[in-house]
Amino acid sequence: MAMKKFMNDPENLVSELLEGYALLHPGKIKVIENNLVVRARPKDEGKVGIVTLGGSGHEPALSGFVGEGMIDISVAGEIFAAPGAPACLEALKRADRGAGVLFVVLNHPGDVLSANLTMQMVEKQGLKNVKQLLTHEDIAGFPRSDPDQRRGLVGCIPVYKLVGAAAEAGKSLDEVYAIGEAYERNMATLAVAVTSATHPATGEAMFELPDDEMEIGMGQHGEAGTGRTQFKTADETAETMLNMLLADLGVESGDQLLVMVNGSGATTLMELFIIFRRVHQVLTEKGIKVACSRVAEDLTVQEMAGFQMHIGRVTDEMVDLWNAPCDTPFMTVR
Amino acid sequence: MAETIGYDEMVRMLRGAAEKVTTQHETLSKLDAAIGDGDHGTAMRRAMGCLAKAVADNRSRDLASVLNDVGWAILSAGGGSTGPLFGTFFMGMGEGAADRATLDATALADAFEAALATVRKQTKAEPGDKTIIDALVPAVEGLRAAVDEGLGPAAALARAADAAEQGAAATKDMQARFGKARNLGERTLGTPDPGATSVSLIFRGMADGLSAAESN
Repeated sequence: MAMKKFMNDPENLVSELLEGYALLHPGKIKVIENNLVVRARPKDEGKVGIVTLGGSGHEPALSGFVGEGMIDISVAGEIFAAPGAPACLEALKRADRGAGVLFVVLNHPGDVLSANLTMQMVEKQGLKNVKQLLTHEDIAGFPRSDPDQRRGLVGCIPVYKLVGAAAEAGKSLDEVYAIGEAYERNMATLAVAVTSATHPATGEAMFELPDDEMEIGMGQHGEAGTGRTQFKTADETAETMLNMLLADLGVESGDQLLVMVNGSGATTLMELFIIFRRVHQVLTEKGIKVACSRVAEDLTVQEMAGFQMHIGRVTDEMVDLWNAPCDTPFMTVR
Repeated sequence: MAETIGYDEMVRMLRGAAEKVTTQHETLSKLDAAIGDGDHGTAMRRAMGCLAKAVADNRSRDLASVLNDVGWAILSAGGGSTGPLFGTFFMGMGEGAADRATLDATALADAFEAALATVRKQTKAEPGDKTIIDALVPAVEGLRAAVDEGLGPAAALARAADAAEQGAAATKDMQARFGKARNLGERTLGTPDPGATSVSLIFRGMADGLSAAESN
């Protein structure tokens, strides 16, 4: 089937989407050279900067969360492709308000290559105060003992929220990093896909999936998951995925969790609410407290149908950081 | 036959690489669609556009300078894994050619070895993992072996291109253990690695560019 996407020349996808996004939120963000999405009003001097990078095509991620209390600069790449190290280096320099920069990187091969190269340049240029935090929480395919193989999924969003709030509160780079790392080590995400999406730059289907099947563990670029199964009801799917997440993270009765259900693009909020309902019920039955929650389309994969289920074990301090004010185009807490 | 590679010859090699890859970008995307997300050809075409522009903009007449500019331009183009790997390849080659006005066959092999070493700093992939390394390692080793046999730069580079093509073809029977494709496991069997294929096109393009320079 021919691609039906409202677009112009595929070459200009990223520049045009960023242009529209900037025009929509002039009070919050700006897009500057090298596709850097920056806060309209830079962070105060003396506070830790938060920088991230990632391919486009996942809107509103990642640039949707640039703003007070979350990300200072998001370096946008081409569709599903990491931006280059020179742009990342520029972002790190700009985001340094004298207290250093936390560089949040999702574990995907291209992102990590660019980030590592950026860190090599950072060293060469004598920028001392940069710390890199890798997110890798996809439980599909690889065990917790092999984190380098685990992909970074929607767990980056709560990481941005927590480190962004900590930075805004004036904590040092080491403290901000420690909070981010503590949450990162205590989070787990699992994705499910039911229909494929079209790669907007190539017009090709990203993967094939029979009508009556779903794939649990599918990555956010159509990377294969742990296996295809018969399509199931909301409750059955929610329970299967939640139990896998709880087992992976070793969650016990009495723990408190941050829970997110993130739509991949074509799954309706109706469905996501029904999934979240069952997740909340099961957790409550098990004596696990849902301390923070979010159901949204934060990290999408074009018109892919499916969702990511995310849990993270939170301390009281993390709950406060989650509830701290922020003002970004796609997440606002007052 | 020219026994050394100067600035003009290097420019022809680089342009040859860009031309070869650009004409094959749809093939690269098709390979990537089978085992990745199908954008490798687009990324390579963009990278080669940046390469060509960097070559056109560089007026230094200095080998290391043009190679470094090309590498930086490819890095700036982004493109997932493509930018960092191919960008550092040319930057490494530039470092390997530093302070030389021309490269004889031995120095050319040195420069390519420096390029390979720089790429290998960026990735833990080993031969057999179905990545660009599977074409890059045989190409650079083939070049060195040809030089050791006494071949001149053009003949040695042609030999390197042959080795890169064989290396890329051999990835067809490998299962991906690196990059996005590793998650597809056995489904990657039967399709050559797009990145390794790009390496073979770059070497063939450089060899063709150099021999065209020599026939002029």
